[in-house]
Amino acid sequence: MVLSMGPQHPSTHGVLQIMLEIEGESVTKAEPEIGYLHTGIEKSAENLFWTQAQTVIERMDYLAPECNSLCYALAVEKLLGISDRIPDRAQQLRVIIAELTRIASHCVWLGTHGIDLGALSIFFYCFDLRENILDVQEAAGGARMHPNYVRIGGLQADLPDGHVERLDALVKKFPGRMRELRAILQKNPIWQDRTIDVGAVPPEQAVSWGLTGPALRASGVAYDVRKAFPYSGYDNYDFDVPTRTEGDAYARFVVRLDEMEQSMRIVEQARKSLKPGPVMIDDPKIAPPPKETIVLSMEALIHHFKVVSEGIRVPPGDVYQAIESPRGELGYYVVSDGNNKPYRVRTRPPSLYNLQALKGIAPGNLIADLVVMIGSLDPVFGEVDR
Amino acid sequence: MPSPQTPPIAGSAIDPTAVRSPIEDAAIERIAPDHVRARLEALKSEGYAMLLDLGAVDYPERIPRFDVVYHLLKMPTAVSTIGDVGTPQRYRLLCGVPADNTTLPTVTDLWRNADWAEREVFDLFGIVFEGHPDLRRIQMPTHWEGYPLRKDYPLRGPAQERSPRPQFANKSNLVAGTPPTGRTAEALQQQVTLRKRATSTSEQSRLSQSECKPGQMLGPEDRSKP
Repeated sequence: MVLSMGPQHPSTHGVLQIMLEIEGESVTKAEPEIGYLHTGIEKSAENLFWTQAQTVIERMDYLAPECNSLCYALAVEKLLGISDRIPDRAQQLRVIIAELTRIASHCVWLGTHGIDLGALSIFFYCFDLRENILDVQEAAGGARMHPNYVRIGGLQADLPDGHVERLDALVKKFPGRMRELRAILQKNPIWQDRTIDVGAVPPEQAVSWGLTGPALRASGVAYDVRKAFPYSGYDNYDFDVPTRTEGDAYARFVVRLDEMEQSMRIVEQARKSLKPGPVMIDDPKIAPPPKETIVLSMEALIHHFKVVSEGIRVPPGDVYQAIESPRGELGYYVVSDGNNKPYRVRTRPPSLYNLQALKGIAPGNLIADLVVMIGSLDPVFGEVDR
Repeated sequence: MPSPQTPPIAGSAIDPTAVRSPIEDAAIERIAPDHVRARLEALKSEGYAMLLDLGAVDYPERIPRFDVVYHLLKMPTAVSTIGDVGTPQRYRLLCGVPADNTTLPTVTDLWRNADWAEREVFDLFGIVFEGHPDLRRIQMPTHWEGYPLRKDYPLRGPAQERSPRPQFANKSNLVAGTPPTGRTAEALQQQVTLRKRATSTSEQSRLSQSECKPGQMLGPEDRSKP
């Protein structure tokens, strides 16, 4: 029998349709159908200025928007040849933002994954923590979901007054909240029954399916872009890469929980190393000069006008830049033809490749376990379909 | 050093690997479509176990027109630590595909995740991967015509190629992509004239009472007066 699951199904985490061939309760073949959320972001980006394209690109992975921004900014900075001129404070704040985003994204994953499996209360614990993080993000960038805080050349603005104290309060609250999350689920026999040995991926298959991020590390391959290809000064921080060897849904769950704690470790270290300083590169051809200066200096006015009305120009060339997003290796292959618009922005979406592995791991399992597998792979459809 | 397999690039548009020296740690190679399959097989056996990504770029004025870009990663296929993985080597293979023969051999049997990646390149660029087990559109609807990420495809899509909207959606004449019939503009004009007729009598009486004539501008000397 062929059964269509989705695209309006609460446990497909968005608009995923899976064509299931079933025998009784067990799945013999699963073919995910995607594209219901295709918005042509890559095409739109080609028709916008380099700086404007960042706003649409940020909307790909809407649970970790600043990771998209950061990766795109790093790629364009490489093309511009300014990677080593980004101010230290901007680098540290980028790390803080990226790691907080990772925690917030894992909170959504755990909350919704819990609901799929019938653990309703975990959702409220997770979203409370996420709301605190979004508050911090909102205070810095001005918006909860898409702050567009990371810009090409640095950051949009420095932190507002009292922001560091807000961050400290979050850091202080976090360990207790994590203890609660672990206490509810990690030793919970029902949770373990539902997730252990479900959707196991051996390391060889995981690499062949192109899994990255927590899904790959749960299978035992300790590949983390932050360690393998450090960016934004990740090599200055001391953190572990949690791995498991089972490769099942429970292993992915534990890896993500451990990862949240490691992220907070990085945030604390970056917070300690914060020193006053500029947060944007001092180059009027890339970053418009501060608004106050345009009434004092003719050059500043001209540069401001040129950068805003005409956009920045990026030397021709191509570059592949990757970062560790909450879902895995997020990469941008950016091509410039020397104009004020990106010639091509190709995304390497971690969710797309992680979700594709469902075809390999679903057959032979129950339909109820399929829901567990989708949840544990953590796809975000803004990114899968773009 | 260019290998004998390296095909020439002609035309006015850019060849990104030639315009400047690479600015990253990946090994970069350009290859002709006839040799791409053999080269990828060799790379796979060298230890490039992960196909990171497979994308395409369109250079309309260049010969060959398309670049299909393979990003590979040297990755251990067993349980391994951070030290084992280290800084894995990246490999980027660019394959120029001419506009008159947009076919490439599939690599789905080498890397399983090439399946959706190849479908997406087929869907958005129209490059056919021969031997692919299930080459259908993946992002766009199945009946879609044209390849949206090609540079000659308009941003908003060709209007005549739009699929007909369902009946309930055709309540207004503002169907995206079709020229306006003018009915809305006519109706608006009618409403405006009707309202003008209705208000003209009361308007005139109000104007006669006021000291200010319509259209009269205040000069600077008038503004200074209280």
